[in-house]
Amino acid sequence: MADRRYETLVLIHPEQGEQGAKELTNRVRTLIEEQKGTIGQIQEWGLRDLAFLVAKQRRAFYVLFEYRATPAALAEVERNLRLTDPVLRFVSVRQAENAPPTPDRTIRRPEPEEADTSTDVGEAGDMETLGEEM
Amino acid sequence: MPKDRGERRGSSGGKGEGRGFRRRGLGRRKVCRFCADKTMQIDYKDTRALGGFLSERGKIMPSRITGNCARHQRRLTVAIKRARTVALLPYCTSYP
Repeated sequence: MADRRYETLVLIHPEQGEQGAKELTNRVRTLIEEQKGTIGQIQEWGLRDLAFLVAKQRRAFYVLFEYRATPAALAEVERNLRLTDPVLRFVSVRQAENAPPTPDRTIRRPEPEEADTSTDVGEAGDMETLGEEM
Repeated sequence: MPKDRGERRGSSGGKGEGRGFRRRGLGRRKVCRFCADKTMQIDYKDTRALGGFLSERGKIMPSRITGNCARHQRRLTVAIKRARTVALLPYCTSYP
């Protein structure tokens, strides 16, 4: 079966802590690899504020996995994610073959503690500040 | 960010009907932002870009107001809904 490009964004319960989130990330990584998937990249967005309460939590660890896998493998990965209690939510999206990998700058905004990632705020940031002045 | 109500009022004055049979009033025709700038990608992870298409209540802005073309509005809607499932964007926000 042809493999496809997928990405999965996983929300991990904040009580897991930095360490627990890392472990869980590794678990998902091995899970994907066990299903003969190949990891493209893993982005850890860190603890982010949620837009609304999920499982009575205000924040969660976000981890983005980009990988290639077969549809059957994806189904298995998703099934396992659903069984994993510390995973609050996740979303899997198929990506176009020619789509560029998610640049780091999508995480630019998240937390003040992660100020180091906001090096290239770029044009979007400038435009927003302009808009606020008007 | 401009006030939600102000925007509504502005477009209900006939300006938003750019696609209609006959255009009423003198309004600048809105161009789909994603068509105008081909480099702009619709990505559910890009909260900042998507947030601009939400009203203050967190509702998705109609293309009648934003001027998006049908194709991009469709994709935008899907992206916003995806972002909502992972709590990147709100379903609803109370009044600020």
